[in-house]
Amino acid sequence: MSAAPADIPGPVPGRMALALTVNGRPVRVEAEPRSHLGDVLRDGLDLTGTHLGCEHGVCGACTVLLDGEPARACLTFAGACPGAAITTVEGLDGDPVAAELRAAFNREHALQCGYCTPGMLIAARDLVLRQPEADERRIRVGLSGNLCRCTGYAGIVRAVMGVIAARRARGILPETGTERALGPVGARLGEAAVAVSPPAPALRPGPAAATVTAQAVDLAGPFAPAHRFTQSFDLAHPPQAVFALLGDIAAVAACLPGAVLTGRPDHDTVEGGLQVRIGPIGAIFRGRARIAHDPATLSGAVRGAGTDAAGRSATEGEIRYRVGPGETPATARVVLDVGYTLTGPLAQFGRPGLVRDLAGRITADFARNLDARLAGADAPAPAGLNLLRLLAALVRARLAAWRGRA
Amino acid sequence: MKPAPFAWERPASLPALLDGLDRATGSVKLIAGGQSLGPMLNLRLVEPDLVLDITGIPEFRQARMEGGTLVLGACVTHADIEDGRVPDNTGGALRRVASAIAYRPVRNRGTIGGSLVHADPAADWVSALTALGASVEIAGRSGRRTLPVEAFVTGALDVALRPGEVLVAIRIPARPEGAAWGYVKHCAKIGEFAHAIGAVLIEPDSGRGRAVIGAVEGAPLLLTEASPLFGGRIGADFAARFDPAAADAALIAAGMADRVARHVHVTVLARAVAQAAGHTPTTLPEAA
Amino acid sequence: MSAEGVGAPLPRKEDDRLMRGRGQYVGDIRLPGMQDVAFVRSPLAHARIRAIHVPEACRDRVFTAADLDGVLPIRAVSGLPGFKASEQPVLATGKVRQVGELVAMCVAPTRAEAEDIAASIVLDLEELPAIHDMLAAREPGAALVHEHWGDNVFLETLVDVDIGSAFDAPITVSRTISTGRQCMAPIEGRGTVVQLDHRLDQLVVHTASQMPHIVRNGLSECLGIEQGRIRIVSPDVGGGFGYKAILLAEDVALCWLALRCGHPVRWLEDRREHLTANANCREHHYRITAYAERDGTLRGIDCEATVDSGAYSAYPFSACLEAAQVASILPGPYDFPSYRCRTWSVATNKCPILPYRGVARTGVCFALELVLDAVAREAGIPPEVVREKNLVRPGQMPFENITNKHFDSGDYPEALARALAAIDVESVRARQGGAEPDGRRIGLGLAIYCEQAAHGTSVYSGWGIPMVPGHEQASARLTPDGGLELRIGAHSHGQGLETTLAQVAHEILGVPVARTRLVHGDTAMTPYSTGSWGSRVMVMAGGAVAAACEALRDRAVRIGAHLLQAAPEACRFDGGHVVGPNGDVSLEAIARTWYRRPQDLAPDTDPGGLEVTAGYKPQRDSGTFSYAAHAAVVAVDPDLGAVEILDYVIVEDGGTLVNPLVVDGQIQGGLAQGIGTALFEEMRFDGRGQPLASTFADYLLPGPAEVPMARIDHMETPSPYTRFGQKGIGEGGAIAPPAALANAVNDALRPLGVEMLHSPVTPHRIVAAVLAARSAATRARDAA
Repeated sequence: MSAAPADIPGPVPGRMALALTVNGRPVRVEAEPRSHLGDVLRDGLDLTGTHLGCEHGVCGACTVLLDGEPARACLTFAGACPGAAITTVEGLDGDPVAAELRAAFNREHALQCGYCTPGMLIAARDLVLRQPEADERRIRVGLSGNLCRCTGYAGIVRAVMGVIAARRARGILPETGTERALGPVGARLGEAAVAVSPPAPALRPGPAAATVTAQAVDLAGPFAPAHRFTQSFDLAHPPQAVFALLGDIAAVAACLPGAVLTGRPDHDTVEGGLQVRIGPIGAIFRGRARIAHDPATLSGAVRGAGTDAAGRSATEGEIRYRVGPGETPATARVVLDVGYTLTGPLAQFGRPGLVRDLAGRITADFARNLDARLAGADAPAPAGLNLLRLLAALVRARLAAWRGRA
Repeated sequence: MKPAPFAWERPASLPALLDGLDRATGSVKLIAGGQSLGPMLNLRLVEPDLVLDITGIPEFRQARMEGGTLVLGACVTHADIEDGRVPDNTGGALRRVASAIAYRPVRNRGTIGGSLVHADPAADWVSALTALGASVEIAGRSGRRTLPVEAFVTGALDVALRPGEVLVAIRIPARPEGAAWGYVKHCAKIGEFAHAIGAVLIEPDSGRGRAVIGAVEGAPLLLTEASPLFGGRIGADFAARFDPAAADAALIAAGMADRVARHVHVTVLARAVAQAAGHTPTTLPEAA
Repeated sequence: MSAEGVGAPLPRKEDDRLMRGRGQYVGDIRLPGMQDVAFVRSPLAHARIRAIHVPEACRDRVFTAADLDGVLPIRAVSGLPGFKASEQPVLATGKVRQVGELVAMCVAPTRAEAEDIAASIVLDLEELPAIHDMLAAREPGAALVHEHWGDNVFLETLVDVDIGSAFDAPITVSRTISTGRQCMAPIEGRGTVVQLDHRLDQLVVHTASQMPHIVRNGLSECLGIEQGRIRIVSPDVGGGFGYKAILLAEDVALCWLALRCGHPVRWLEDRREHLTANANCREHHYRITAYAERDGTLRGIDCEATVDSGAYSAYPFSACLEAAQVASILPGPYDFPSYRCRTWSVATNKCPILPYRGVARTGVCFALELVLDAVAREAGIPPEVVREKNLVRPGQMPFENITNKHFDSGDYPEALARALAAIDVESVRARQGGAEPDGRRIGLGLAIYCEQAAHGTSVYSGWGIPMVPGHEQASARLTPDGGLELRIGAHSHGQGLETTLAQVAHEILGVPVARTRLVHGDTAMTPYSTGSWGSRVMVMAGGAVAAACEALRDRAVRIGAHLLQAAPEACRFDGGHVVGPNGDVSLEAIARTWYRRPQDLAPDTDPGGLEVTAGYKPQRDSGTFSYAAHAAVVAVDPDLGAVEILDYVIVEDGGTLVNPLVVDGQIQGGLAQGIGTALFEEMRFDGRGQPLASTFADYLLPGPAEVPMARIDHMETPSPYTRFGQKGIGEGGAIAPPAALANAVNDALRPLGVEMLHSPVTPHRIVAAVLAARSAATRARDAA
């Protein structure tokens, strides 16, 4: 990122040129589209008073004024606010409300290490302007988007209460905020901003070793999944027919949304990939699966392991299935015991429920596709999955692995 | 914690946006306020080739009444609703929900459309708009269609948008005369994702009611006909007739195995019912 | 007390720059040519590294262990018998033992580009069984974190003082109590910027550290270069709490990189790294039994305590400080005749632990105070009575307790009595008798602790860890215009030392606080110090500043007496002036004379002049013992598990208070962290050792709406051993809240048959316990 006077044109390829007003001064900044406003201000303009504490919108340390309203700098990408006016804590030196707050913060010992303080002052200033009265509960609720690890908030709350009370006593009324245009603050209507050329060729993991981690997993060894659930579905086909289909690994893969088979190194083992999407999060796991099948009990198991391209996220899972008679003759009930383990960033996202819901939906699609196939139809291609791309990726990996062997 | 590289376009009109979607060769994400997508980009959980910023499109930043129906452009923010910059046909229900979403700096950029498309089960609009009987207007190159919110949200972070389609507006019907509204969410701390949401829209006069149990693992559980929760009949005494066992049974039927979670969801729903009946004083908005 | 001296509630000098965005934290440092570093970290808790595949295009910007020639692993040993040492490689070699362990270092012009490179590197890992449960880790056959040890125990200790004589007590209460694993979560993460100063042939390491001199020791040892070639600068630091009292593998790696590349390099820890990859704290497990008479008098405490120390012994505090400390401080402020405590410091495939604010005290207070409430219930007497029966009495002070801790001064029963009066026990109990309109239940909880602080050589030499504090030094220098410069080797990162040490100096020299400047956080400019930890700075650096100022004052008096043409014995020092029989002369005039008009000095003037470095130790270095009684009233919603704190009283005795405003800030801030420990914060792991939170949406810190304003009352019993009678108080606020709040929740839910014994007491845990108790009650009814 770099800053330049407002009249020099032409961004570097892959960057975008942005005209902004920062602390009352028009500036032109060049930034990668992925740079958030916090980095634009800090690294591009040397305005280091805006601090980064979490970069996911919770701690509030990076709160700045965008067109006069508080917003998270870490969640506002450079391209989102061409033309916007930004005020950082450095721009509040002469602001009378901020001056009152600074005096009150000092008096009430409302800061210790000072790291949260710039964002806290900006949030507090907004409350001072908007809150009708110095109500402690409202102020605490109103400041909840700003975390302080040092003070225990007592001095901050007392300071804000004091400033609000003093201003209202002086007859200064709260602002209602009804004037502004609809939509996200800082986002100007019709203001285009483009960084079309993809930035510097992205480094991608080399495919050579893409599946090595998964290969290491012993699919015959014991497996203790971190998460487990059971799901069942009914099919209007006889149990024997259903069981037979479940024994056809190619057919099963065709019915499993996002799954692609690329090889079958031995009778019990398949290689392939599984693309999963949890909302905007997409991952392609490549690896192997081992199949077991017991006609005597109409049951079986599929045990698989895979990793994403860089070996960062990995999954291991086991589906045990049992086919039994359904409620009416010539129908089947399939009971699935699903156990899985995720490692890496996807596992550390802290919302295992989202994965369970996804697994449930995949199972439902799987049941539907099995049903269609049993009825003689081809399984429909699942919507939203770029299977071509997945296949291309897998084929590349296959070729590389093959070359590696040669 | 910086995003993987992406290209950025900020189309100035809906046709330009749809063209952009159509033209795109790699993976594309639409961004509005970025309050949900932003963290996922920063964490590299999402790595699109192209981000299309839709906040420059005027149509998305309008609100209007069509008859009794409130039509909110996709990029209307939570703060716009909280501050009363848009009309209200829900007797304050929208405003109260909006004011309790996350934190003010988030509400200043977070949008109602973005929240719905993101479809986090723990987010407020997914549940509240389902209970209010709202629908979404979707545009694609082949035209527009409308879906009820409950059909739009198909699962956790999953919605019924087809490739090339965008959500353009939310249509919220007027709250019926005499209808009671209750909305309660349970969070471990203020501004946090909800662990349980209960929302009810009860019409004692006509004996109808909608109930939503939200912040579950997938799409919210909607009872379009809520009378089983009230012993089979909805009347003026609906709060007294609320049957926690019926709600619990509904959750069991929906596959919620965890007894503690069910208890919390049933409790929160009961409190939403009590709130609808006016049994709990209107407390402060519990959000920042 | 003067308006600016010891005892004045002076607003802080450091606030103004911080409120204008002009603080300078590590991330704010701008150096020409600086490049950013991102690390490739292990995604697995335990694995063998088979290969690290680096794309050809970035091979020159990626470094692994194979590149780090001559760099030694971090070793933090303890001299305690039986301690097993771990070697923490700077970049992983052979094996990774925790999620987040450093595997490769990537350097690029921006952090985003460095992360691009990191994302392109493929790790070929062979996953090994991970051990994430400290109790399972002690079982035979458990997977081994360090194979050559043969087990997973860093250290086992045993204290036994006649426990057998307690076994016949009429009341025996046993509980299993545990505390969750936490992240300290200062709002600023760690960060390091390293620059090679070619002129001085010196590595200048800007790092957010509580202990710059100790970091220099460690860097010198790991890098094998002499200390003179390393300068540590710790600038403004955005919160420490123990998290920044460590030598980081990242620090070592960046120093190596700066030497290799020649240009400045920077690493700024992001929140995901903090939560998933770097040091944790607080995970304790207790099996504890209390033996008591029917009136609540304790006969003895018997305990087995296990602490999950994580994969490596962190420098300098080691992996065993926490557990071994448990054994020595579990008796708390109480006096009883029999005691046994066995402890294990256990290695697991998790991040190492560091001593977090309160260190082991928070855990032991939780275990002991919960079991005391259980004794009260068993005996059928109020919980305050059990405490009154057993607290050390003021007449016993100074008191050697059962583990030979030397309590310096105080009136513990008085603190309890004041807390009970302030919280108004009678009216809380009366309220509990009636039903709340909203169905919630009211509970009252108590917790008392005493806190050894500022303990020095005699204590730490026994631990035998890489850092033993000795004399604390400070420098004081009058400037030619009569201002004062103070230099200390400890660090201020929120404690307000720029103000409070100026107050100490003012107390002696009368120099206005506004004209006194504190220099700290720079090994090139300050005397050696072990740094800011253990609530030690106001006792130790405060004492050292006082000693330096006194020496300076004595020299000034001699110069002033000469200027006044009087004998030094006939002069006194008062309010910044030397006062003689026939007039007075100001410090400004004395400073002007020394520096600018030396011709006016006496021929035999002390050549040391107006600059003094003095060392200080208290008369006893076994530590000060501040203490407090905490009383909490909560309302618990049994159906949702929500806990609201209705009232919170703290009666604190920190000895002489140098700045009551700052002390209250420390206590209130500690309370907020204690509330986090009690109700919100927990880093959970799955069965494979994967941390299950990577954002503040998953790891919950208390916010403004969750932390009430404590009502704080001060007793000021001076320590007989320190310069002004001050005691260390920096950690106390975080020690008692988990115990007080859990006791309050248990008091509220007691009629339902619920007892919560694990922190944090989350809504989910409460509801689960309430439902389990209801089921049990139903079964019992059905059986009857």
